[in-house]
Amino acid sequence: MEPAIRLTGLTKRYGDHAALDGIDLTIERGDFCVLLGPSGCGKSTLLRLLAGLEPPTSGRIELNGARVADVAAGVAVPPGPRDLGMVFQGYALWPHKTVAGNIGWPLQVAGLDAAARRARVSAVAALLEVDAYLDRYPGTLSGGQQQRVAIARCIAPEPGLLLLDEPLSNLDAQLRVEMRAELLRVHRETGATVVHVTHDQVEALTMASRIVVMNRGRIEQCDAPQAILDAPKTAFVAGFLGNPPANLVTAHPDPFWHIAGVALRSPPVAGWGQPVRLMVRPERVVLHREAGQHRLPGRFIEALPLGGRRLVSVAGPFGRISAIAADWPASRYGDPVHVELPADPDAVFAADGQRIA
Amino acid sequence: MRLFNAVRGGLSAGHPVSGTAALTGGAFVVIALLVLVPLANIAVELISDAGLEAVWDVFAGRIAENMLWRPLANTFAIGFAVALACVALGGVLAWLVTMTDLPLRRWIGVLAALPFMIPTFAVALAWTVVFADDRLGVDAAGMLVHLGVPVPAWLAWGGVPVALALIAHLYAIAYLMIASALVTVGRDLTAAAEIAGASRTRILRAIVFPVVTPSLIAAGALCFAEAVSSFSAPAILGLPVRFHTLATRAYGAIETGSPERGYVLITVMVVTAALFLALAAVLQRRGQSFATIGAQGGRRGRMALGRWRWPLAVAALSTVAATTILPTLVLLLSSVSTASGNPFATLTTHYWIGAADPAVAQGQAGILNNPQLVRATLVTLGVGLATGIAALAAALVVGLAIGRLRGGFLAGTLQQLAFLPLLIPGLAIGAACIGFYGAPIGPLPSLYGTPAILVIAGVAATLPFAVQSVVAARAQIAPTLEDSARVTGASPPRILAAITLPLALPKLIAGFVLVFVKMVRDLDLVILLYTPQLPLLTVIAFRYASDGFAQFAHAVTVVILLVSVLAHLAATGLGRAAQPWLRD
Repeated sequence: MEPAIRLTGLTKRYGDHAALDGIDLTIERGDFCVLLGPSGCGKSTLLRLLAGLEPPTSGRIELNGARVADVAAGVAVPPGPRDLGMVFQGYALWPHKTVAGNIGWPLQVAGLDAAARRARVSAVAALLEVDAYLDRYPGTLSGGQQQRVAIARCIAPEPGLLLLDEPLSNLDAQLRVEMRAELLRVHRETGATVVHVTHDQVEALTMASRIVVMNRGRIEQCDAPQAILDAPKTAFVAGFLGNPPANLVTAHPDPFWHIAGVALRSPPVAGWGQPVRLMVRPERVVLHREAGQHRLPGRFIEALPLGGRRLVSVAGPFGRISAIAADWPASRYGDPVHVELPADPDAVFAADGQRIA
Repeated sequence: MRLFNAVRGGLSAGHPVSGTAALTGGAFVVIALLVLVPLANIAVELISDAGLEAVWDVFAGRIAENMLWRPLANTFAIGFAVALACVALGGVLAWLVTMTDLPLRRWIGVLAALPFMIPTFAVALAWTVVFADDRLGVDAAGMLVHLGVPVPAWLAWGGVPVALALIAHLYAIAYLMIASALVTVGRDLTAAAEIAGASRTRILRAIVFPVVTPSLIAAGALCFAEAVSSFSAPAILGLPVRFHTLATRAYGAIETGSPERGYVLITVMVVTAALFLALAAVLQRRGQSFATIGAQGGRRGRMALGRWRWPLAVAALSTVAATTILPTLVLLLSSVSTASGNPFATLTTHYWIGAADPAVAQGQAGILNNPQLVRATLVTLGVGLATGIAALAAALVVGLAIGRLRGGFLAGTLQQLAFLPLLIPGLAIGAACIGFYGAPIGPLPSLYGTPAILVIAGVAATLPFAVQSVVAARAQIAPTLEDSARVTGASPPRILAAITLPLALPKLIAGFVLVFVKMVRDLDLVILLYTPQLPLLTVIAFRYASDGFAQFAHAVTVVILLVSVLAHLAATGLGRAAQPWLRD
């Protein structure tokens, strides 16, 4: 079976700025794929290209094996025939149509007769629990209700592909947790492929069957959530994901391997003459009150209670390092702390961010 | 090159570039046909033999003194006086409403915008009812004369009343522009300065004036340009004493069969108005000029007026009343009086519903009994409606092209060109249209004497307002609302009909009504285009007034005011009906 989405060399430029820079990506049918990255990384642009709202500058998009955009071949299929639904950030509900009108209009465009439309609208409204508001205008609904209407409008025509553009970012924390479960339920019940854009790693880690981490218009890594956490391929992924995120500390090889002048126990990589970035998970960092060999001298910044333990942050010439300590005595900002890193880091990245060990 | 790249990039991506190119081309054609070509035609006329002779006559000939220099001096004097007075009056009102604890300031704020709805010729006519002396005969004398109050000649006719009539109409613009600038001051800027510990005078000097100064200059320049362009006020209040401005001289020249001389004078008017507006544009970005505001400022930081609160409120209310309700009442009263300006005359309904009677007004019937008047009302309404629709259609082409181009050189040029008619006096637009469309163009017949030429001139004159309403309507519709419709597979026309138009409708209705009302109450634009077969209410009112049938003129003017007010009310109701989703 053809994959739901296959992107080849997809590039989008705005003037001199490359919002997307040579994206290659395959997403299987039924996947819940999360595009994750900081704002401006190109994830929303990718979604708009998938939807056909904007043309790529170069490259190819195939949906279920059919070419819908291929710049070299001059193929540009408009959004309609692509068989997809989209939920916009801020919902983009039509303010002059009632809830029923919002959900029903795409069905009308699709050519359903009035009876079939009514049946489908009430079925979808029931699924999303907005059947009580069918005659109301969007402006009179709460954020969570508008969110549900937007999802109902998106799935009513039963598209094979759902594109969700930060649909939860405008909701408060409580609602966001509820709507995460709601989206997963819709995904299960429709069986559609979902591409969900977010900058929130909790959303990504809890919902995704696959996470695509993006940065500066490129894909840093595409993997299952656990694989991304366990084996980040780049320093960016290592620093962006994880709760708490892993420490990244720069080590220099001259004249001997050291971090801010403190010698390492052993070279992090054999035969490497350039500075590297060491990834060390907070749970493997040990903190001491006293100085000692191979310990980095730093200053106490803050301590955060975390599941019965404490996440302690220390700053020094090496930057900032956090450690999970079983217990940590009351400290004041600026108290001296000495940091001991494990002899073997969890990962080693070259200066360009690529993993080398 | 940029355009070429944009087109090529769009084509290679299979984007609907052809639509954008067609729209842009259409927009340029619309503006060219309405504004550029007729104006260029005037320039061409000027460099003909007759034109060059006229230029010589007007600037250096025997008639130059009477034709150009004295009227020019009058025009400038009126322009400066009006600009200064409007900025002072509008500025004080704006300050009272937005920055002080003036009682009733919300009401005063709303009412202070109304004088803009009363056309200058209505104010000018009302002025004659009260202040006219008896030089045109005892019948034409005003109320003061009848009450035995001597009226000095300078107050009855000429430059002073012309300036006052213009001020009564234009100070509302100055008020709106300055108040919208003051509101931005009141809210955010002074708070920061107060926290920093600045004194009240220091805040005024360092923060309020720098922020407001551009709006003062812009308001002054706009009032100046409007004042030097105005035809109706000097025509009604100046001509009886041979007080001329450029506008009345140009009108006279064109009407008496030396159009080239008129074109020279009109060119001088255009250049004068354009120079001052260009000066203002350098000092202030466009767009804010048309912002309208309510009367709310921030709650804190209002200056306490103390015991001056009520006196100032009464003064402000009187000013507003004197420029709106009072002229309307005066005209209404005059129209039911057997002697226009005589407060002791008996009341009569003759001028409204009377049958033709040879003993009264040379046998003219009351206006509601006068088939010519009924016809004029229908023609005026028809021309107003047609102009509103045509202006909106033209503005849709221009506004959508501006939107599609998304900034850049072409969009900027289109926008500038669309606002060009603001710089051009109505009389000049009328003259340009008559010069170009009044003669046969190739196989096309002359449009002189047809409603088409009135509509063309009306669309040209109101294009800036219509384009502004289209641009505003588009700007308030989030692009994702159309994106989400595109995703459903709906065709562009269907999206336009089902999503874009319903959302834009309230703003478009407002734009339509603005154009309609401007057309219904306009005199300057149509005075040259008018023919007896195509009567318009404003021209008939003007003719009646010139011929000494004051009551008829005033009755017709009351009808015009009534139509304007009803159109505004209808617009408000329509706007509400078009947005049921705001009612829940």
